[in-house]
Amino acid sequence: MSEPLLSVRDLKTQFFTEDGTVRAVDGISFDVNEGEIVGLVGESGAGKSVATSSILRLVDSPGEIVGGEIEFKGETIFGLEESDDGELRPRDEMLTEEEMRKRIRGREIAIIFQDPMESLNPVFTVGGQLREFIEINRDLDAAEAKEEAIDMLREVGIPAPKERYDEYPHQFSGGMRQRVLIAMALACQPDLIIADEPTTALDVTVEGEILEMVKDLQEKYDTSFIWVTHDMSVVAEICDRVNVMYLGEIIEQAEVDDLFYDTKHPYTSALLDSMPRPDETVDELRPIKGVMPEAIDPPAGCRFHSRCPEAREVCREVHPEPRDLSEDGEALHTAACVKHDAFDVGYDASPPIDTEATGGFSAGFTETGGEAE
Amino acid sequence: MTEVGPPESDPDALLQVRNLKKHFDNESGLLAGVELDDEFPFVSRSTSDVRAVDGVDFDIKEGETLGLVGESGCGKSTLARTVLRLLEPTEGSVYFQGEDLASLSGEPLRQMRKDMQMIFQDPQSSLDPRMKVGPIVEEPMKAHGMLDEEGREARAKELLEKVGLDPQHYNRYPHAFSGGQRQRVNLARALSVNPDFIVCDEPVSALDVSIQAQVLNTMEELQEEFDLTYLFIAHDLSVIRHISDRVAVMYLGNIVELADKEELFENPKHPYTRALLDAIPVPDPRSGGRTALLSGDVPSPIDPPSGCRFRTRCPKVIQPDEYDMSDDAWRNVVSFQRAVERRSFEETDPDALRRRFFDGATPGGDAGTLLDEALGHIERDEWEAAERILVERFADQSVCATSRPAYEIESEIGDGRHYSACHLRRDEAVATAVDEAAADGAARPGAGAPEADD
Repeated sequence: MSEPLLSVRDLKTQFFTEDGTVRAVDGISFDVNEGEIVGLVGESGAGKSVATSSILRLVDSPGEIVGGEIEFKGETIFGLEESDDGELRPRDEMLTEEEMRKRIRGREIAIIFQDPMESLNPVFTVGGQLREFIEINRDLDAAEAKEEAIDMLREVGIPAPKERYDEYPHQFSGGMRQRVLIAMALACQPDLIIADEPTTALDVTVEGEILEMVKDLQEKYDTSFIWVTHDMSVVAEICDRVNVMYLGEIIEQAEVDDLFYDTKHPYTSALLDSMPRPDETVDELRPIKGVMPEAIDPPAGCRFHSRCPEAREVCREVHPEPRDLSEDGEALHTAACVKHDAFDVGYDASPPIDTEATGGFSAGFTETGGEAE
Repeated sequence: MTEVGPPESDPDALLQVRNLKKHFDNESGLLAGVELDDEFPFVSRSTSDVRAVDGVDFDIKEGETLGLVGESGCGKSTLARTVLRLLEPTEGSVYFQGEDLASLSGEPLRQMRKDMQMIFQDPQSSLDPRMKVGPIVEEPMKAHGMLDEEGREARAKELLEKVGLDPQHYNRYPHAFSGGQRQRVNLARALSVNPDFIVCDEPVSALDVSIQAQVLNTMEELQEEFDLTYLFIAHDLSVIRHISDRVAVMYLGNIVELADKEELFENPKHPYTRALLDAIPVPDPRSGGRTALLSGDVPSPIDPPSGCRFRTRCPKVIQPDEYDMSDDAWRNVVSFQRAVERRSFEETDPDALRRRFFDGATPGGDAGTLLDEALGHIERDEWEAAERILVERFADQSVCATSRPAYEIESEIGDGRHYSACHLRRDEAVATAVDEAAADGAARPGAGAPEADD
């Protein structure tokens, strides 16, 4: 395969707070190839949104990208090097703030947020906002930009786009607003669109329509997507490859079919098991015990060991880095769990440990009690 | 046949809701709804109510969970609040343990509240951030004068443990808890006055899946232990399928289908239920995705469609008796009519439109003439005239528009009752409650209203 469109290597983003350093994203690596929809899944607090903001360098104080590299189409969005006095400083070829603003954001990489009402300004017309965006980013004059804006509205399935061009965001339904944001993201024909939980606030029926539309548009424009979500059903429906995040790390990475049918990490299996199914009646749900620990003080060893039903003594000591576990000829499938032979740290010989997951229902729960958050 | 009790009339039910309506004023203020006319008396006043809940009947038996599902804006939450009498019903009655809540007020109503509690969607905003968790749980007991101070504290601690929290957390503030734990505090508070009935309004939709499962399991355990009855509202059909005994599907202020869980999921008898089920994504990449999605938006509850409210989006609208089109031709007419109404195309050339909408099956006879007329209007850019012809002569003639459906049919799975508000069921119904008067203004007398078949 050719060079990936976007490549993220060992990205670390930390927030320096009074209580200590929050390692929101702690060394994640993944690629996005051309024309591919890559999923980024995890519970809230896993670091999904921080990861995507980091890609656009939108992390604000007290947060900071402290390490790693982000390459996009051969250009360096982020990269550090060691200077002569041993300090880390940005590399020379790293894009400046102005280049990011003028060339990358919106034009090359667009982003769609979860809440369409907050992303649109309520006091300007929908068409006006779309037109302005096109005018600025594509150097068209006002009339041409308007023409283009109406075309884009039609493209995303807004009925009677000419009339609706002059309406305000509150006159649009939630699904329509999200369509407008998708139109805005597509308007500059970026190579990559980051979609941050774009359908979470919508009804299933509307969600279905939007996903259908995104699939069609993706084929037509050959845009790549990073699809951030917590919903495994959406992942199953739309993604080509998936990265599963837990507490700032990517713990499993695979093609979508392998992820569901050849799950390699206990967290991914637990996540899949905990969901009620629409197509069959499940008598008892098997939830993941406990809550995700704080990123400020992550557990030693494997970060999931405190909730893992398969945890053993060794999991407390060894911190696994994701490794490729695929067999010859198969697509890349990495997972960070020492139970696989590839890690060879003596998992089989290690005694199982008592975790919340192995205890009774309430016992495990009360232990973490108020410590969460 | 016996009285048609849509969906059922069981005198032993804990809660019986009969023809419950809740309308809201769309505008308020002195000049609300006043419009200027050009004729005497020059001003007119029209009120447009939002009919959030519009004639709902159901029973909840003791110890069961009734799931209530529907898209956002269909009136689920308004229904819940009206049932608990947090909102005053516009019409209808709610019998709780035999007493009509709609007619109660003041102290007697406050006393009744002890037996009915509610859990809200957002665990964050339903807890006072300045109160400690213990006092939060004690608050309802205080309001109802239960126990003394020591007794309340002991009970609060006991309840915290019951819902899966540490009693030691009695002195913590809500911000120290995660979302799932806060929802547990809400549960403990609801349970504190030992209620019989709890309305749960989307209690898990703000939680992560893994936490969702924990809370759902706890709710089920508590139901068993305290013999609780739940009205469980959710938009997520997977959650509903997991927790409910019976399920009611709501659309635009009406209940369109109500049946036992298995029956409803395996054997849905309303096109809307079918569409909702088809729209749920399955967490399985090999499932082939969702099929047959609904198109269009939910109509406004200010001026809901006559007859069956789902008919403007229904894929199975029934052909008016006066036409004799093939099924395909009728479907084409319907999709064309909806496209015109929505202005979803800009083409005006009749031949191109025929190719696009009527490929293969063109209606003949009267219907064909009407269609030619509509296409002619579109060619001359007279969209409204075209829309009028299509709507008045086709859509409004269907039995779906002229009478409001209400049928009870036999369940295939289990022996529960199965209520379906769809005219497609008129032939298999064991009881009907089709009320022609309910078909609002658009109904034309005698236009194909079905007969009760008994």
